Amino acid sequence: MEEEQLIAGLKAQNRQSVEYLYDKYSRALFAVISRIIADRDIAEEVFHDAFIKITKKVDGYDESKGRLYTWMAIICRNAAIDKLKSKEYSQKGKTNSIDEIVYGLGDDSGTLDRVNGIGVKELLTELNEEQRFLVDCIYFKGYTHSEVSEQFAIPLGTVKSRIRAAINVLKKNLDRI
Amino acid sequence: MDIQSYISSGKLELFVLGELSEREREEVIRLAAKYPAINEELRLIEEAILAFDNKSGASPSEAVKNKIFESWEDEQRHVLRQGDDFSDKSSSIVALQPWKNFAIAASIAAIIASVFAIYYANRYFDVEGRYMALVQDQAVMAEELDAFRVNIEQAEVTLETLLAGEFSKVPVRGESFEVQTDANVVVWWEQSSAQVYVSVENLSPLGDDRDYQLWAIGDDGPIGIGLINPGQRLSLQQMQEVTETGAFAITIEPKGGSESPNLEQLVGLGPVG
Repeated sequence: MEEEQLIAGLKAQNRQSVEYLYDKYSRALFAVISRIIADRDIAEEVFHDAFIKITKKVDGYDESKGRLYTWMAIICRNAAIDKLKSKEYSQKGKTNSIDEIVYGLGDDSGTLDRVNGIGVKELLTELNEEQRFLVDCIYFKGYTHSEVSEQFAIPLGTVKSRIRAAINVLKKNLDRI
Repeated sequence: MDIQSYISSGKLELFVLGELSEREREEVIRLAAKYPAINEELRLIEEAILAFDNKSGASPSEAVKNKIFESWEDEQRHVLRQGDDFSDKSSSIVALQPWKNFAIAASIAAIIASVFAIYYANRYFDVEGRYMALVQDQAVMAEELDAFRVNIEQAEVTLETLLAGEFSKVPVRGESFEVQTDANVVVWWEQSSAQVYVSVENLSPLGDDRDYQLWAIGDDGPIGIGLINPGQRLSLQQMQEVTETGAFAITIEPKGGSESPNLEQLVGLGPVG
């Protein structure tokens, strides 16, 4: 199905389109959430709410807001970050006050090990230490780039160029994952 | 604009990661619509991230899928009910038909009012546009006027200096030298006050790495007394003071001037008296 068709179907709340959307994107979108939220039950709860939100908000979506997947991933990421910072979550007290995450960074058994695909793990070893650190903070822990810049005293421009370098490595190795 | 440096700024990556502010997002979307290269780069980044997302985690459970579709169906029923309410209302409007004429009249009045409003708004913006243009013109003229005023004041000072003092005029010309035969500079020297001024009649412009330097040649040999700006014509450039000299000379020196003159680059020489 073409993306345009899919969007039209979603706007019409056509069940097949919603199912297609789910089949095609649920894994990636769930990954966006679950790499920020370690607890699987909570991650699924956030995913449920975010997905329903997507089906509701799609009415106001158009291409001027970016491509469909990017738009959806941002909704999921924001939902996960909101949850991570919410009172309710910190009371559950798993690992996740921001400070604990920050100071637990030296730990090698950290978030990167939650990654499942073997290809992905290999791919991450292609990154140099600085790039991997940034991918870990931003991609897996839900930091914003300006938070990383402040907390670790890395200039904003450097943060940006390292993110770009890291994503370039991903792009080049796409066929391997 | 420089598309490549925009692409390599890292902004597009942050866009796809949802890291940009609303204003920056709009900028990226606008530029992507305008420049195919940016749009293509965005597509590649999104593809890479989607592929990575797809591989970097497990699928959500069947249970959550079922729950999502239950919620979705609930939502649909809810929307449908709202739709029913709405159609009830529309039928009640039909029952109030006598008001229709008033509604039409009111609409027409509203349209006419809008047309006038748009007309006057256009005129207003038109006039405002012309007014802004005039204000800008006026600002430019005021600036030019200021520049003229400064020039005139300088010229007055120049004239006063020359008229009030007892300056001797020492022409320094390039005719008898090979470096710049049409060079023509006048050195004004008042021995009693030791003041030296230079006025440039004609000197070729130099590259950024070189300067014209003025020398006073006395019993102790040449002494550098200042750099001459070749572009500043018809005004007096003040040099360092000289109490005794037999001649003035101009040479071309490395930027900032030298300790002793480079005679191979001697532009002109003017004996005093």
